[in-house]
Amino acid sequence: MSKELEHSFITQLQANQNIVHKICRLYTNGADAHNDLFQEITIQLWKAFPKFRGESKFSTWMYRVGLNTAITLYRKSKRTIDTQDFETVSFKISAEDYDNTVEEQLKLMYDAVKQLNDIDKALVFLYLEDKNYKEIAETLGISEVNSRVKMNRIKEKLRTILNP
Amino acid sequence: MDELELLKKDWKMREQKQPQLSYDDIYTMLFKKSTSIVKWIFIISIAELIFWTGLSFFTPKSSYEILERFGVSQILWMTNIINYLVFIGFIYLFYKNYTAIKVTDSTKQLINSIIKTRKTVRYFVFYNVAVFALILIFINILYYLKSDVLMEIIGEKYGKIKDAAAFLNNFFIIQIVLGVFMLGLLLLFYRLVYGILLRRLKNNLKELEKIEM
Repeated sequence: MSKELEHSFITQLQANQNIVHKICRLYTNGADAHNDLFQEITIQLWKAFPKFRGESKFSTWMYRVGLNTAITLYRKSKRTIDTQDFETVSFKISAEDYDNTVEEQLKLMYDAVKQLNDIDKALVFLYLEDKNYKEIAETLGISEVNSRVKMNRIKEKLRTILNP
Repeated sequence: MDELELLKKDWKMREQKQPQLSYDDIYTMLFKKSTSIVKWIFIISIAELIFWTGLSFFTPKSSYEILERFGVSQILWMTNIINYLVFIGFIYLFYKNYTAIKVTDSTKQLINSIIKTRKTVRYFVFYNVAVFALILIFINILYYLKSDVLMEIIGEKYGKIKDAAAFLNNFFIIQIVLGVFMLGLLLLFYRLVYGILLRRLKNNLKELEKIEM
């Protein structure tokens, strides 16, 4: 029975692992931290799996557990050195020198998103994943109206980061 | 916002380029140990519960004998019983709150239940510190009121003391200074442990609450 459970879990996680990778990419810098968080999310998913009844899709359930782990449970290890500010600064300089190509614009956007706080990041992540406001609200535990308002504010925030 | 739509398109394109873990990679992960903050809170909380419960079990017998001489052993016995009842209550609450932590809850609910669990233990610690302080004050008042009994006991143990008044003066000053110092140390320790573990959680909860305002 437990072997069956294991098999079913691993196959489903393997098929949906992109979700976890994307969360790791948003919440960590560097391969070590990425792997650490991936592992912690896997452990949390596995621990919660026996209670997963299939009321929602496996992937929907993964979003919730994955984000919760990244936002609340995961302890950032010391070796994760935050090099983000430096990257952003150096990139801004080079962006002024050249034309704003799509590639550069995207890089700036990613950097801007990475500067957001944990909660804002979660909203952006769910938005990028095409989740509707109802799902966003339920995942974070806020109301639907407020998640809509908040998302608009984040868009403004990103705009100011991009065009100071 | 055009940029965000652009990002969305790219976000989806990048999905294909992501590293893929094999079945065996994931399998080995299942047996790794979690480093989650809840696990640490659990370990530290259990350590605190054991520490304080243990401490009251290991009060040396001789100090009970001394207190008997002061005629307060019955009061202390009563407080001990009440103390253990309170302990059991706290341990039950801790267990109940801990089992209520579910990673499948909404983020806000999850953070709230983690903080609630931690709060129970925090109150437990404060309760103990308060009891510790009260007993210290109570015993010193007792010593003061019955200083003749105190001097008698000290005399039996360490020989007769010539200047009783000066000795008592120093005795009480040392008692107070040591007591306050220990209290300060305890509170500082808990502030640190509590602060380090919960800072990020609290910030995120604040963010979520800000959204709802």
